Amino acid sequence: MNLRLNARVCVVTGAARGIGYAIAQRFGREGARVACVDVSARRLEPTVAEISAEGIEARAYAVDVGRRDDVGAMFAHIEADFAAPVAVLVNNAVWARFQPLDEIDGETIDQMFAVGVNGIVWTMQAAAPQMARRGGGAIVNLSSVSAFHPAKDSIAYSALKAGVVGLSRAAAAALSPKKIRVNVIAPGMIGTKASVAQFDETTLATRQSEMPLGRFGEPEEIAALAAFLASDDASYLQGAVITADGGWTVPAR
Amino acid sequence: MRRLDGKRAIVTGGGSGIGRASAIRFAREGAAVLIVGRAANAEEVAAEIRAEGGAASSMIADAAMEANVAAMVERCLSEWGGMEIFFANIGVTGSNTPLFEQTVEEWTEVYRLNTVSSFLAIKYAGRHMTAQRCGSIILTSSAASLRANAGAISYSASKAAVNSLAQTAANAFAGTGVRVNAILPGLVETKLTRKVFEDARARGVEAKLGHVTPLKRPGRAEEIAAAAAFLASDDSSYVDGQLLSVDGGVSSTHPYGRIAL
Repeated sequence: MNLRLNARVCVVTGAARGIGYAIAQRFGREGARVACVDVSARRLEPTVAEISAEGIEARAYAVDVGRRDDVGAMFAHIEADFAAPVAVLVNNAVWARFQPLDEIDGETIDQMFAVGVNGIVWTMQAAAPQMARRGGGAIVNLSSVSAFHPAKDSIAYSALKAGVVGLSRAAAAALSPKKIRVNVIAPGMIGTKASVAQFDETTLATRQSEMPLGRFGEPEEIAALAAFLASDDASYLQGAVITADGGWTVPAR
Repeated sequence: MRRLDGKRAIVTGGGSGIGRASAIRFAREGAAVLIVGRAANAEEVAAEIRAEGGAASSMIADAAMEANVAAMVERCLSEWGGMEIFFANIGVTGSNTPLFEQTVEEWTEVYRLNTVSSFLAIKYAGRHMTAQRCGSIILTSSAASLRANAGAISYSASKAAVNSLAQTAANAFAGTGVRVNAILPGLVETKLTRKVFEDARARGVEAKLGHVTPLKRPGRAEEIAAAAAFLASDDSSYVDGQLLSVDGGVSSTHPYGRIAL
């Protein structure tokens, strides 16, 4: 394995499971020192234990990224704990409900945006000065194909993920002078436990057969793309949105 | 274990610029590379790779001629025993003569070298790769395919057609295990853009090159090669039919000045 992220302090949000876990693990295998952030201390603990068991330097931070003050304090802790400023930030944390239009309630949509949009603003706000102090950095934000190709009951989710694209491109322009790159991954259907759990067996089989590759993507395939974007291999990518959906949204339907 | 160990690659336009940097990068990641160019510099790149311990050979050919593309695939199969990667990278910039003076002959040649060459790569690499049920085809497009004022008109239009080829071919190959993607570089100093860079240096305004990009600089061929290596490798196993901008952010913002190219 290449050590493209050797000794860099990388923060991954939503790191306890699924895509976030795979990203934290892949970054660690490429030499990164990983700050694993998740709202759930209970879920985060075994994750960090597993990753650390590989010989990776990983630390757990149980924080709700929707809370600005907590995020600011966490980044100060991360810099102190690793004795180095943050070099890479991956915003993967999300909280979502899929509801038909007439059932969307204020509490749900507020919570979704608090984590999935505001949370990215708070982490970038806290991370950017640290990155600037070390001469630059890389931010990778997770959107979704739903930003462009909405699925069923995804009015709030599509708005959330389209919001990630807009804020990331604006941040790319704003942070360029500090040599901070901001790029976006838009995954298609990824076979995490959470995404598979929403379907019964028949629906799952139908959904998988609709995929051009005949399968959902693996979290590790998103992690490989995230590693590219976080590394110097992507030194000329700025404000890019990269879809990783096995070609699912390429054809008209 | 390197990412391209055991893989075999063809790189067209491999004698200089992005093609050269990509051939070197592919070889450093473990691939055996057939470098195709229209001049002897293809062999110079192959020799350079062999000198650092890599596996490379070369072939002089026009990668926009059907018989040549068929022949380079055959050559890679016989010489290296297979082919998993085809980087269709040759291209020309087109003429910057005023629109009303441009001729069908100029346009046809730009389309032949930029668009038809991509089609031929898809046809011949795709035929082999779909049969073996794996492979990655990479097309060089351009930021000019998305935005006006980043290149000649014929060039921009021909590269927009390349974008469509990446999508339509990915769709045509759905379920075969063969992926097709395009890279959209911004301003990079290569044989195609050398005049832009030389003119800027001559006028003492080199520092202004790439200033309309958020990163405020032109790209390097090695930075495009790194993206090509990602698309060539299994790290991009779920990326298919995509247009990957490697342009310092120029296509992600409003253009706010003339783009020198």
